[in-house]
Amino acid sequence: MIDATRSAARVFAAESLKQHRRLFGQPLVVFSMLVWPILQLATTYYTLRPVATASDAAAHWPLAADPHRLLAFLATGTLAYAFFFSLVQSAWHFSFERTTGTLELLFLSPAGRLTLMIANGAGALLQNAWLLTCFTTAALLGFGTLSVASWWMYGVVVLALLIPAVAWGAFLNSLLVFSRDSAFLYTVLDEPLWFVSGVRLPHFALPAVVQVVGAVFPLTGSLIAVRGALLEGDTLGALAPTLGWLTLLSALLLAAAAVILRVGEAHAQRTGRLRLA
Amino acid sequence: MATATAWRTGRATTLRTWHMTRRAYPWTYAVGTVLPAALTIALGYLGFHAIGGGETGADFAKGSGTSAYLAYLAVGATAFQFTVRLILWSAKALITEQRQGTLGALLIAPATRLPYLLGFTAFAVLSSIAEFLTLGVVIGALGISIPVASAPGAVAGALALIVAVFALSVGLGGLMIAAGEAHISQNTVFIVLGLLCGYTFPRDYLPGYVRWLAEAFPTTAAMDVLHGTLTGGHTLTDLAPRLAISLLLSAAYLVLGVRTLPYFERRAVERTY
Repeated sequence: MIDATRSAARVFAAESLKQHRRLFGQPLVVFSMLVWPILQLATTYYTLRPVATASDAAAHWPLAADPHRLLAFLATGTLAYAFFFSLVQSAWHFSFERTTGTLELLFLSPAGRLTLMIANGAGALLQNAWLLTCFTTAALLGFGTLSVASWWMYGVVVLALLIPAVAWGAFLNSLLVFSRDSAFLYTVLDEPLWFVSGVRLPHFALPAVVQVVGAVFPLTGSLIAVRGALLEGDTLGALAPTLGWLTLLSALLLAAAAVILRVGEAHAQRTGRLRLA
Repeated sequence: MATATAWRTGRATTLRTWHMTRRAYPWTYAVGTVLPAALTIALGYLGFHAIGGGETGADFAKGSGTSAYLAYLAVGATAFQFTVRLILWSAKALITEQRQGTLGALLIAPATRLPYLLGFTAFAVLSSIAEFLTLGVVIGALGISIPVASAPGAVAGALALIVAVFALSVGLGGLMIAAGEAHISQNTVFIVLGLLCGYTFPRDYLPGYVRWLAEAFPTTAAMDVLHGTLTGGHTLTDLAPRLAISLLLSAAYLVLGVRTLPYFERRAVERTY
């Protein structure tokens, strides 16, 4: 047991170091994880401003009455979306190991497969998201729009973002390693993801069908928890159903990742093809 | 003689790109165009009904000259996606040749560069029409009707937008081959244009100095003409000064682009060989 933990920790450290060397200080990371999200946030804010300043808006959505709170609502959306999207991006990069031939080496090594997938996603997340996280935290504190029930709710916020995101990353990594057309998944998970998850609109504004589809994505639950805790001053008790759902969803994603890896590897050993079926 | 060669170059490029796209990229490109614009329009639609209660704030009508928020947004989102599409084809033409290893062959061919790039733009305009018909279905399904205050004005605005984007693309394409990089530059250009040029919201919302910065792009004045003659209730005569500004700026960018392109090409070749 101790040996297994130690070997998992070593895989984790090695993969994190790899991601650090690959991503840290890259211009692409600075642009895609800081400059573009901030400019996109401004565009979204201005595009929604006409409806948020309507005379009835405050009655439908109290948050809309205060421009700073609206901006904070959209900023939390931008941050959480960047977390999840950076994992889509890193999974897409991970699938390049198919073409470069290093994937076979990973499967030949004794490293635990699921650990590898989790470590790869978590490493990428750390390298990608720290810039925007610092910026958003500073901006939210600076605006003074935060309304938090108690100091340890910040810890809950971090966990509600981090754990589902890492599970999501492990699931995507496992899926993309065994699929040939990864560009397609990339297209499908970019634009529709923000729409169904309520990144730029409050949950009640989305039609029921979209809400149901959105509930499948962990980003939706993460956003409800993060916004509730940071902007509405919700307590742990109030957020318990959402957090419970997020835990269940994360466990399901990790289980699915483990199954995909097992099925995919068995298939590869039998047929020599890196595909699920 | 020179005109005939230019025409043949442009036509050959359009045809080649058509064949290539038909064989190599069947659906992903179209989905990539229609989806972002459709989702932006849907975002506005849901916000307008669920949050605004079917109304907008007073400053929107003041800045845009209309209270038809959804029509304004539909025009803006469509025009923005059209801009993205045109830049993706025209500005990325040269770097795509570079990546495929055919840039050297293109540079020593007796064809001039401008008709070649125009060929890409012509293809992009033609292929976008099919995609925008799909977008039209989405806009129709949401029950958004777009008022046309002046049809000739709208056509002039659309043409000015095409010219403006083409003018921006020539220099941008040069920068891309000199830097050997397209992803960061193209996305930065898209996002800056989307924020500054008044596509999906009136520019009055932006801080003063940013508004001035927006005037440096020919697309800003072209969007004023397009919005003004569709939802804004203006005629072409009202907006003639804006049209002239857009065309003048486009001419300046085009001259700059054509002048600097040989330098960028030289840099690109020196880097590669």
